[in-house]
Amino acid sequence: MTRGVTGVVLTLAVVVAAIAAPWLAPSDPARTDFALGLRPPGTPGHPLGTDQLGRDVLARVLHGARLALFIGVCTVVTTAIVGGLVGLLTGFVERWPSAAIMRLADVQLSFPFILLAMTINVIVGLGLRNIILSLSAAGWVVYARVVRGEVLTVKERDFVRAAAALGAGRARLLFRHVLPNVAPSIVVVASLQFSQFVVAEAAISFLGFGVQPPTPAWGSMLAESRDFLYVAWWLAAFPGAALAMTALGVNLLGDWLRDTLDPKLRV
Amino acid sequence: MRVLTTIITVLAIVLGAVPASAQDRAARKEIVIGIAAEPRTMLAVTIVDLTTNTQIEHIYDRLLDRDAKTLKPKPMLATAWKVVNDTTWEFTLRQGVKFHNGEPFTAQSVKATMDYLQDPAHKSHYAAYWKAVKEVQIVNDYTVRFVTDKPWPALIDRASLTDFLVMPAKALKELGPEKLAQRPIGTGPFRFVEWKRDERLVMERNPDYWAGPADVGRVTFRFIPEFSARLAAMLSGEIDIMKDVPPHVVDAVDRSGRAKVRTAVSSRINYVALVTLKPGPMQDLRVRRAMNHAVDVDELIAKVLQGRASKICGPLSPANVDYAPVECYRYDPARAQALFKEAGVDPTKLQLTLDTPSGRYPLDKDVSLAIAAQLQRLGIKVNVVVNEWGTHLDKVKNRTTGDMFFLGWGPAIFGQTVVEPLFKADQTYSSYGNNKVLDDKIARAITIVDPKGRAAAYAELQKLVHDEAPWIFLWQQHDLYGVANHVEWSPRADEKVWMYDAKVVAR
Amino acid sequence: MRVYVLSRLAQAALVVFLSLTAVFGLVRLTGDPVLLFMPTDIQAKDVEEFRQRLGFNDPLTVQYGRFLGRAVRGDFGESLRYKRAALSLVLERLPATLLLAAVAVGLTLVVAVPLGVISAVRRGTLVDHLGTLAAVLGQAVPGFWLGLMLIYVFSVQLRWLPTGGTGGLAHLVMPSLVLTAFFAARIARLTRSTVLDALGEDYVLTARAKGLAATRVIGKHALRNAAIPVITLAGLEIGQLLGGAVIAETIFAWPGLGRLTVQALLNRDFPVVLAAVFVTSVTYTLINLLVDLTYGWLDPRVRVA
Repeated sequence: MTRGVTGVVLTLAVVVAAIAAPWLAPSDPARTDFALGLRPPGTPGHPLGTDQLGRDVLARVLHGARLALFIGVCTVVTTAIVGGLVGLLTGFVERWPSAAIMRLADVQLSFPFILLAMTINVIVGLGLRNIILSLSAAGWVVYARVVRGEVLTVKERDFVRAAAALGAGRARLLFRHVLPNVAPSIVVVASLQFSQFVVAEAAISFLGFGVQPPTPAWGSMLAESRDFLYVAWWLAAFPGAALAMTALGVNLLGDWLRDTLDPKLRV
Repeated sequence: MRVLTTIITVLAIVLGAVPASAQDRAARKEIVIGIAAEPRTMLAVTIVDLTTNTQIEHIYDRLLDRDAKTLKPKPMLATAWKVVNDTTWEFTLRQGVKFHNGEPFTAQSVKATMDYLQDPAHKSHYAAYWKAVKEVQIVNDYTVRFVTDKPWPALIDRASLTDFLVMPAKALKELGPEKLAQRPIGTGPFRFVEWKRDERLVMERNPDYWAGPADVGRVTFRFIPEFSARLAAMLSGEIDIMKDVPPHVVDAVDRSGRAKVRTAVSSRINYVALVTLKPGPMQDLRVRRAMNHAVDVDELIAKVLQGRASKICGPLSPANVDYAPVECYRYDPARAQALFKEAGVDPTKLQLTLDTPSGRYPLDKDVSLAIAAQLQRLGIKVNVVVNEWGTHLDKVKNRTTGDMFFLGWGPAIFGQTVVEPLFKADQTYSSYGNNKVLDDKIARAITIVDPKGRAAAYAELQKLVHDEAPWIFLWQQHDLYGVANHVEWSPRADEKVWMYDAKVVAR
Repeated sequence: MRVYVLSRLAQAALVVFLSLTAVFGLVRLTGDPVLLFMPTDIQAKDVEEFRQRLGFNDPLTVQYGRFLGRAVRGDFGESLRYKRAALSLVLERLPATLLLAAVAVGLTLVVAVPLGVISAVRRGTLVDHLGTLAAVLGQAVPGFWLGLMLIYVFSVQLRWLPTGGTGGLAHLVMPSLVLTAFFAARIARLTRSTVLDALGEDYVLTARAKGLAATRVIGKHALRNAAIPVITLAGLEIGQLLGGAVIAETIFAWPGLGRLTVQALLNRDFPVVLAAVFVTSVTYTLINLLVDLTYGWLDPRVRVA
């Protein structure tokens, strides 16, 4: 119970920060001020310090929340819809096209997620839109696999078989009986994936392929902080903490959702 | 309980195997250099790559060296040189030099090296650099002549760079390049020991080196791609030398008690190219001059680079042998406004794009953002596009950058390597061209052999380039090296990291 | 059972074939693939000659056939950067990554799985809460940040561990920790939830009602059924381990395949990228084959699929 509450609180905090960023931030995140470079937290006007160009860290972290949530939501929604549908259909219909699709999915899965996303970015270019594209393209398969596994098992369960025996049509079986039992798993996977996507974007930016500066994204902020790690710990600490907090909150939320929706969930 | 004890014992043994400390290495006269990438090949004159050459030139010698202070050519494997006629250079070679396998160094090796790199089957990147050389004539065992198809005074400059590292003729013929690539043989101050891919390159002192054995007994290059890990290795005493310490960390390194930061004013220059090769506001000369007046280079150096750069006002820097002073474009917003007005451009309506790499040159991205902020003072809107290095290079080569791009160029030791590739329209990295007058001047300047004539020609060239303002002229980089306290070594302007010059002192 | 194995093998081969095709297509998606295979210092005027020499002017089917023929023989061309056969470069680096991955899997089995089981059995207690907190943090904290912090604390400040490279077990500690963190966290949470479910199943309640000892019930019945989703996810995740190694290898200068691939991408060294993709996909396919076979052994109902 406490877990759920913590999750909701943390997630809500991040959402509020993201929405209210322009009002909560002490200054414009893009405003540079060379005289105030690398000031530690506690400097007047800059509670979390400044970076090497004099930009306010708090402002950048808050605005970074917008980007993180945006990336997370877009990728999660895209992958859940695409992956979930594929998983449902291939699990339910066991003809050869399902096997073929799953083999294709396996092919894609055999490329490590991060490398696949980076390769796509090298080819289509960098930037926000392309990051969402590459993360989605790389990430939908997990849903498909997990959902399909779920469907395969749920399908064999007595109540489904009973409904089939009673003459229910295929579509009806799928959407009225199987889907409701599988839906919670989609939700829980979504919550796990959300934080994974946000962190993956950070990792990709860290390696140099992601959202480019000066857009305040936590990932590229962390990447930039590398140069100053030993003299300005706050440049890495606060974005990293924000990232961890978001991931933590959403994960706990997902846990609680699963506990309420269907404690028997195997995800 | 037993399990716990076993675990602790194992851990103790295992963790006891921590790498040798800095003191151990100092006692054994060993130096470890942290470098971002491994060499791309162990063969000389095959791949043009600064990182590769920095490492392999401990194993191979150049034909001529460069003096560390004046950067002028000085004897190495060749002891004297002279111009025989307009198209022939003659080199007298050093006697008594041996390769690491005992093979004596003679004119045969010089010829064999040139033949190797000019052979299309080897696909050497250096073939283009030496294409003016028609043949290498062996006059006798210790005299060799380079015959060119037209006068090439800069041949002497090329020969004094890593563009001609000498390989052994006999070994090249008997073993072939493939075997040599695995166990390279040169005449250099260090012998090859091992190359553990992606990990380290180890070399040991050559006791028979012609200039006397090095003070350092063992040189190891450790490949650490991640910058902060390299810095961590420096601060923890695992490596002794590293390059490119960012200005903000200098104090932390100096205070660490293990290392100090040494600076060299590099021959490498940074600039913002104003693209004229495609239609845009930069094609107007007045606009380009206005841009130079609108950017306060001194402020950039002081505030962004913490004073660690040396301003330049023309295409060549004082570290370049062909340098001649030119007048600087003063920071003068009023003059900039006037020039814009003259050109019929309203700066408040101007929207420009500046492409920049990130982390390739010191604070390149931050400088670009700062320049954008400065131009904003006049109302110009600049969209800074930060590119990953490979992308940036592609954009420059394919001419798909915005109106401006940030780039560095170096080592820029002699004039031809700067003016020829950067101001002619058909050159890969150029942003400016189609200026017939300039093209002619360049073509002429690179063929003048007489030093006075050459100096005059280059002076004229620099003034012309300055007046044409194809770039916002920025500065020479300061190369910041972290050097451990027990190593005595000074960095050089030509970015040569040569451990022959280093001494290990026990402190 | 034999039919199952054979069909899985055939499908695995198909996967490898398809991944090669995908790779071929991916490269040609860029429009002008010759730009991807040229060394960086080619002059603009030499591009056409290069295009001809590399065979990019031939019809697509011819190129595809040639590509497949070469790939099957292990010829992925020469690395643009190192002028060596791309495949041998990749295979040289594979063992280092496998070592890291093996250590991570080992650590996970030894730490994460028992943690998950205990959390489930002792649901709601302090152990459960702490375990879940650790697991969730493990997933939330970015691997590269963890790596940098570890280096800062253990290498620079305390000087207990080396900052990177290989050489001994001490060099293995931090990279494998970073790699394990995420993987173990996922497995721990998943184990917990599947064991919880299994414990709640009717047949378990029946067994306990019949008087069977708790451990026997858990061990024999619950775990066996809980294992399936865990193994599924583990199989999926091992592929990601190979990818997650990228971060650990870059930060700790570990000479593995992940690092090589990233640098190949950064340097636009496409022959190496292709060879790396191929090797990764084969490795991953083999691992998944193992997973599928274990799956079939554990749950007879699924075998027919």
